Amino acid sequence: MRRERGRLRDGLVLVGLAAYALPFFWQALTSLKPEAELMVLPPLLPSRLTLEHYRVVLERSVMVRAMVNSLGVGAITTVLALTLGLGAAYAFARFAVPGKRFLLLLIVAGTAFPQIATVSPLFLIMRALELRDTWLGLILANASFALPLVIWLLAGFLSEVPVQLEEAAAVDGAGRLRTFWWVILPLVAPGLASAALLTFLFSWNEFLFAYTFTATEASRTVPVALALFPGVFEVPWGDIAAASMLASLPPLVLVIALQRFLLRGLLAGALRE
Amino acid sequence: MVAARPRAHRRIRGVTRLTGVCLLAAGLGVVLLLAGCTDRGGPSGPVTIVFKHAKLLGPVDPMPPLLAEFEATHPGIRVKAEALPWSSDEQRQFLVINLEGGNPGFDVMMLDCIWVPEFARAGWILDLTDRLAPGELDSHFPAAAAAARFRGRDWALPWFMNVGLLYYRADLLAKYGLRVPQTQAEMAAAIRRVRAGERNPRLEGYLWQGKQYEGLVVNALEGFWAAGTDVLGDDGRAFPDPGRAAGALAFLRGLIEQGLSPRWVTAADEEITRRAFGQGEAVFLRSWPYAADLFELPDSPVRGKVGLAPLPRHDLGTPAPGSTGGSHLAVTRATRHPEAALALVRFLTSERAQRVMAETGAVKPSRPALYHDPALVRAFPSLPRIHDLTLAGRPRPVTPVYVMLSTVLQPELSAALVGVRSPERSVARARRQLDFMLAGLEG
Amino acid sequence: MRPLTARGAGLVLVAPALVVLAAVTAFPALWVIWLSLQRRVPIFDIAEFVGLRNYVFLVADPRFWSAARVTLIFTVVSVGLELVLGLGVALALAGQRRGLRVGIALLLLAWALPAVVTAKLFEWLYNPAAGLVNYLLGGVQLNWLGDPTLALPGLIIADVWRTMPFVALLCLARLRGIPAEVYEAAHVDGAGLLATLFRITLPLCRQILLIAVLFRTLDALRAFDLMFVLTGGGPAGTTETLTVYAYRSLFQTLHLGLGSAIGVVVFALVMVVAWGYLRALGREGIAA
Repeated sequence: MRRERGRLRDGLVLVGLAAYALPFFWQALTSLKPEAELMVLPPLLPSRLTLEHYRVVLERSVMVRAMVNSLGVGAITTVLALTLGLGAAYAFARFAVPGKRFLLLLIVAGTAFPQIATVSPLFLIMRALELRDTWLGLILANASFALPLVIWLLAGFLSEVPVQLEEAAAVDGAGRLRTFWWVILPLVAPGLASAALLTFLFSWNEFLFAYTFTATEASRTVPVALALFPGVFEVPWGDIAAASMLASLPPLVLVIALQRFLLRGLLAGALRE
Repeated sequence: MVAARPRAHRRIRGVTRLTGVCLLAAGLGVVLLLAGCTDRGGPSGPVTIVFKHAKLLGPVDPMPPLLAEFEATHPGIRVKAEALPWSSDEQRQFLVINLEGGNPGFDVMMLDCIWVPEFARAGWILDLTDRLAPGELDSHFPAAAAAARFRGRDWALPWFMNVGLLYYRADLLAKYGLRVPQTQAEMAAAIRRVRAGERNPRLEGYLWQGKQYEGLVVNALEGFWAAGTDVLGDDGRAFPDPGRAAGALAFLRGLIEQGLSPRWVTAADEEITRRAFGQGEAVFLRSWPYAADLFELPDSPVRGKVGLAPLPRHDLGTPAPGSTGGSHLAVTRATRHPEAALALVRFLTSERAQRVMAETGAVKPSRPALYHDPALVRAFPSLPRIHDLTLAGRPRPVTPVYVMLSTVLQPELSAALVGVRSPERSVARARRQLDFMLAGLEG
Repeated sequence: MRPLTARGAGLVLVAPALVVLAAVTAFPALWVIWLSLQRRVPIFDIAEFVGLRNYVFLVADPRFWSAARVTLIFTVVSVGLELVLGLGVALALAGQRRGLRVGIALLLLAWALPAVVTAKLFEWLYNPAAGLVNYLLGGVQLNWLGDPTLALPGLIIADVWRTMPFVALLCLARLRGIPAEVYEAAHVDGAGLLATLFRITLPLCRQILLIAVLFRTLDALRAFDLMFVLTGGGPAGTTETLTVYAYRSLFQTLHLGLGSAIGVVVFALVMVVAWGYLRALGREGIAA
């Protein structure tokens, strides 16, 4: 009896959470509703499902190109942030870097910088260096929030690795580099995965810099493509819904499949404070 | 230490996998980066010019066949047309960010006529004066030509033309023996009479655009002009007569308070109001000429019942001109193919192209001659009327600071309309902001 | 192995990251202050030093204070709602035996979406004619995004929907770390549900709640994407936060000096709030 009540309770909680996610499911349904049935509401469910909105969005290929841009910019930002960040975090954790406390403080403060403040100088920099509408420009702009975040997270994960392990490896005759590669890295790997996931996610979702620094589909990312979705005179809700679904697909897949790493990253960032 | 070893071995697989994934991602990234690089700016071959424009309102989109014809008659030039967002403000924001940021990525763009002086002043568009034939601009409406000129140079070619006018339900007015209202008071009386007679709760009185966007400034300007004032004085200062301006704003707000206009007018743009009127749900509508053809479509509920008139005056002695508007085509200064770009501009603004655009309806040409073309008039009998209204229209201030003015005005006007603030306060606040923003900026 | 000194190796490892950070974070952070002291209107080729004139204007600018008020209301109400809802959801999930991963996945749906997607989602939901919200409310014709009294609540609801999962997950992690014996002991002592909540759970969660409030407050102060795409700051500026006002000044009127000044204000606000919270956390005895 108790077990059934527990199961009922569990089920109710899940139903409640599914109801919470209703806006998303409604948008998914909208993306499959035939055009004619979109603007009439008493029938909640459509008479039939259709893929015409997806076809319109994909054929128009702006969205496809935008997804390629987002993927590329996100991937390279992640790799860049991880590479530079890991080195820096390791240095902070293990070496006596001059001014370490001050630098760390600055970097942590960097995670709190409002983008609206840095967008105008970055705009002028991008203009001067002709980096607008390029992947490189976006990657550098994203690095402004990705690097501090990664360094902060990795410094935390690295501090959990006991120094004794490295000392033991040194006693065994392993050089610094080998120690790092074979001892430290495996232990930090899950943390790296978390940092990578968060960085990619934030990079994919980033809007302000992308809106300001992209011009054409050469570099336009998914959020900007969605915001600039061309409407004729009335808003094409079905097409926008389909585009929204496509825009959400990679982040959702990553977040749900790699749930564990995501939670680790989020919590590590918070709990270390 | 012994315990560390086996764990390390287990993790080695993990880290190897991780490294592999990272390298794969990096490799993918590099490949995509290279793909991105080679995609832009191809090697020798046909010249591709990028044309940014908003989708044209109307039943049929005239652009694809026109562009195909251009490519056919200009071998070696390919046109890549890209649509801008529908809202005029969003279009401009996009263009501004990209033109100011350098490396805009487009060659020809459709500009709302109010942007031309600003873009010219900013150095974003190409000076066309020396490339145009003398008098090439004269075959367009004077207001359109004036909007294309800045400091004595020519910067764009007019593409299509607009003017604010009043649509009315001729059938309803006739039914109650009312004539077309000449003043605002007459219009209010007509609305009350018709609604009392029709007793239809869904029938609204006067529809206009009150949403917080450029359209609101247009409506407000028409109100200011009808009241005998303007938003910019001769000295370049904002609101030379704040009292009258506030009065005009109060009148608009009063329309809503008295129920002559529905409350949702404050969130309405051209299309929302056009649809409502087109469904027969209003007696009067202030809008642009494009709606006239849409009302005469075969399945339109108001087909044959709609008339066009000048906007009602505040008092018979002061004219109430409609605001002229429309779009121009300009070439970006950063373009690498100025001749090809100008060829496209010339083609699209030519009489032939404008005739095609007029034939598919909804867009009105910027060439007065076409308004008396027999074939077009047969298809669209309202053309001569629109021509006269356009000539009587008045352009919004032709100055590079106009858009700045408009963006500061929009939230203040909107606040007055929805009742958040009194019209006097809104005008005062707008004036203060404008004094700060416009200080030292020459027109 | 080459005898790199510890200091040298440290510097070598840190240098690349620092160079990039200096270029894209530190330098712009300083430059924006310099920009805010200028009157810079590129369209008119104006770039002159004017000292504090932009700030003087802002101090007496009603639009600035409206934006500040909107930002404050948005932040306080959003964070408050997220806290309450997040803790509630965490409590519900803490006792979940089966389907925890599914539950978390459903929560993460809302959080993982780009803000622009959420904006479009809610724009459709709030549609007066065909939106689900009006339908569920019984067919009312509320104009959510067009009515000056409804737009800000509508925006806040959208933001809470999007960010509550973050708070919930933080609390959930903490709750699941509380050993069952604590609750058993309370139960043995005869504590009811509410007493358990207020005397045991909340105090134990205090630390994580403060951290959640810190993160969420900073995020809410800096929020831009959602309001910009959902309402653009309208109607009548009722959803125009400081960030939107700054963006409009920067890229709509191209008054780079004024826009930078507003950005600096947001910057200062965020830093002050962060510093204040960290001091409070420090007093709570949480190690940095």
